[in-house]
Amino acid sequence: MIQITGLTKVRHKGAPPIVLDVTFDARPGMVTVLLGDEGAGKSTALRLMLELERGQGVTLFDGRPYRRIRRPERQIGVLLSGPGDGATAVAGNPGRKARGHLRMLAAAVGVPVRRADELLEQTRLSAVAEQRLRTFSPGMHRRLSLAAALLGDPGTLLLDAPTEGLSPRNVEWFHSFLRSFAVAGGTVLVTTRTPREAAQLADRVVTLDRGRLVADQPVAEFCRTRLSPEVAVRGPQMARLADMLVNQGARVRPDGGAGLAVAGIDRTEIGELAYRNGILLHELADRVVEQPVPRAAPPVTSGNSGHLGLQRDSEAAHETAQEMAHASAHTSVTEATPPTPEPSATPAPLPTLPDRPASAVPTVPEPATEGRARDDAAVRPTRALPVAAVTAVLPALTAAPQADHAPAVDRLLRNQLTPAARPTPAPEPARTEPARTEPVRSDAAPTQPSQYRESAADLLSDDTVRLGRVTAGKTPATPDDHRSE
Amino acid sequence: MRDLAYELRRLRGLRSTWLLLAAVLLCDVVVAAVLAGQAPAGPLAAPAGVRLLTAAVPLIPLPFAALGAGLLGALSYGHEVRHPGLAASQVTYFRRVRLLLAKLLVVGPVAALLALVTVLLDTVAVHLALPAGVTVPAWTDPEALSDRVSEALGAVGLGGPADLPGVFAPVALVVGHGVPAALLAFVLLTVVAAWTGVLTASLTRSAAAGVLLLCALPPLLESGVALLLRRTGRPWPTRAAELLPFQSGIEWAYGWVYGGAREAAAGSAALTDPALLAAVAVPAVALMLAALLVQVRRRSL
Repeated sequence: MIQITGLTKVRHKGAPPIVLDVTFDARPGMVTVLLGDEGAGKSTALRLMLELERGQGVTLFDGRPYRRIRRPERQIGVLLSGPGDGATAVAGNPGRKARGHLRMLAAAVGVPVRRADELLEQTRLSAVAEQRLRTFSPGMHRRLSLAAALLGDPGTLLLDAPTEGLSPRNVEWFHSFLRSFAVAGGTVLVTTRTPREAAQLADRVVTLDRGRLVADQPVAEFCRTRLSPEVAVRGPQMARLADMLVNQGARVRPDGGAGLAVAGIDRTEIGELAYRNGILLHELADRVVEQPVPRAAPPVTSGNSGHLGLQRDSEAAHETAQEMAHASAHTSVTEATPPTPEPSATPAPLPTLPDRPASAVPTVPEPATEGRARDDAAVRPTRALPVAAVTAVLPALTAAPQADHAPAVDRLLRNQLTPAARPTPAPEPARTEPARTEPVRSDAAPTQPSQYRESAADLLSDDTVRLGRVTAGKTPATPDDHRSE
Repeated sequence: MRDLAYELRRLRGLRSTWLLLAAVLLCDVVVAAVLAGQAPAGPLAAPAGVRLLTAAVPLIPLPFAALGAGLLGALSYGHEVRHPGLAASQVTYFRRVRLLLAKLLVVGPVAALLALVTVLLDTVAVHLALPAGVTVPAWTDPEALSDRVSEALGAVGLGGPADLPGVFAPVALVVGHGVPAALLAFVLLTVVAAWTGVLTASLTRSAAAGVLLLCALPPLLESGVALLLRRTGRPWPTRAAELLPFQSGIEWAYGWVYGGAREAAAGSAALTDPALLAAVAVPAVALMLAALLVQVRRRSL
C-alpha cells in the first residue's frame, strides 16, 4: 500500500510547478499506472516518493516514509530510468557479466548468491548470464534491472517507464510479469506515456497533466473515457461508403487521401455493407484512438468530463438509439431526453454493437473478445449522456475484479488479439461470403497473426506454472507466490 | 559488511582490474630489468637499489605500482558513478559513506599486495638483469645476510636457519643497508596513492579527473612540504628523496635547468620526522573530510 499525499515540487520560485498536489493511493494486488505525457511530472513524482528530490508532500509505504524504512531494498523494488534515457539505459558496467553483476548486487542487498541465479532464471536471462553487459539489448538491460530490483524480495514495485523503447515481445513480457506480481498480492506502481499501454496493464490509471492530477480512474472507466475504437477503411470509392456509413449512424472522418476513419460501427458490418453495395475495399482494420487528456484545471476524480460536447452533431440519431438500448438494459437510468426512434434512413437493422442488448439480429459470435466487447459496450453511450454512462459501467466495474484474477493471459492479450490481427478461426460462421470473396484485407493481417500467436505461445510456455496456479483459483496464495519460482 | 562484500565482488568481477594489475607488474618488471641493465659497474648504492626494486623512473610522478593502485582506486569510484549498479534510492548518505569506507578498505590491501608483488618480481628481474660488474654489498657476504634475516626472525620470536641457501640471494637486494625502511615506505606510498585515488575520484565524480588530480598531488604536496621544511630550517629527508623519483617539486621541475642542485636539499632527517609526517597527514585528512562533506550535499554516489 502506497499512500501519496500532496506531492508538490516547484523548481524555481515563480516557475510553474513540476508536480502540484498529487494525491492518490496504490493498493496491493493492483497495478497502478501513472500516465502522462513527456514532462507531465511522472518521473519527478516517483523521485519525490523515494525522497530523491526535495519537495513537499508525504509518501507512506505501508505507513512509513521511504527514508524511515530500515532496509528499503527488502520492501520496495525500484526501477528508475538510469543514465541515458529509453533505449540507451544500461543496467550496470558494460564490462561485467550478468551473473557477476547480479551477485554483486545481491551481496549489497544482503541476500544469498542463490537468489541472484533464481532471478536470472525468472527474468529469462540465465542463458546469457555469462555474457558481458555490453552485448545486451535494451530489453535485456531492462530485465536485468528488474531482476536487481527484485533481489530483496520486495512486496512493492516502483517502475519508471519500464517498457519505454522496448520491443513488443519485451513489453509483453513486462506486462505479464507485472500483472502476475500484482495478482500475487504485490503493489505495483508504473509510469507510462501511452494510454494504450496503461489500458492493457493497469487496474487503476492515474493521469497527470503538467504536474496536476487530472484523473484517477479504474481501468474500465479509463478505457471508456480515454480510448475509443475506430476502423480504418481504405479504398477507391470512399465517398459512397462514407454516405452509407453516415446513414448507418457511424461517425466518419477523412483519414489521409483515400481513407476513412469510422467510429461507432463494427468492422464486420462495414465489410458487409461494402460487399452488399459492391464497394471495393483495400484496407479494413481496427485500431484504437486516444482521446485527448482532459485539461481540467481542478482535479477531476470521476474523469468523465471533457468529452461532453465532442461528438454530438454527426451522430445524434445513433447515440439516442444506443441510449434507448441502454435504457432497456439498465433500468436505473436518469435521463431527461426522451428517446427518439431511429431514423428511417437506416436500410437494414444491422447490429451496430456486438453485444447490444436490445438488438434484434443475433450478433456475430467472436470467441475471444469478451474484454473488448465489454469495452465497446462501455465506450459508446458515454459520449451522449454521462449520467447513463455511470450506470453502464457499473456491471463492468463489478465484473472487473473477478475477471482480472482469472485469465491473466486473456486480459493481457485483450487489446492485441483484436479480430483484425487474428487469423480467422473455424468457429466464426457469421463472417460469411463477404469476408471470403471480397478482397477485404488489412495490411497488418499477413504479418501480425503469426507474430502474436508465437508470442502468446511463448508467453504461455514461460509462465505456465504461474498462470496455472493463478487460474486454479487460489489467487494470492502467498505474497511471495511469483517469486518462489 | 554487506558493502564490503559488494565491493569485493565488484572489484573482482571487472576485467579491467586484472588487466590493470597485470599491466602494472609487467611495466615494473620491464623497467626494473632495463634500469638494472644500465647500472654502472661497481658496488650498487642503496638508493639506486631501491629505485631498481621499485622501478621508479623520473618520467612519471609516482612509481608504477603507486600509479596503478591510484588508478585502481579512482576507477573503483569512477565506475560506480558512470555505471551505477545500485539503485539511486538505495544509496542514502550512510550507505554512501559505508561504500566509500568499503572501497578504502578493499583497495588498501590490494595496493599493499601489489607493492609487495612488485618488489618481489623486480627483485627477480634485477637479479637476472644486473650486469656482471655490479656488486651488491649485502650479496657479497652471505653471512651478513643470514645474520640479518635470523636477527629479524628472532625479533618476532622465530628461530630461523643459521645460514641460508644461495637461492635466497636475490633477497639480499631487499635487505641492503637502510633499504627495508624505504621499501616499507614504498608499500605505504602505494596504499596511500590508492586511497588518494578513491578520494579524489569521489570528489570529482570522475575516474579521469581523479587520476589527474592524483598525479598532480605529489609534485604540489612535495613542493609545499619542501617549502615548509626550508622555512623551518630542516632539510628534506634523504629517505623520502630515495623513495620518490624526484626530490622536491621545485627541484624536480627546475633543478636540471640550473645544472642540478639536488644534493643541496638532501639532508639526513629521518622519515619519522614529526614535521614531515604532519605535513603529509594534514592533506590526507583534509582530503578525507572533504570527501565526506561533499557526500552530504549529494543525492547519489
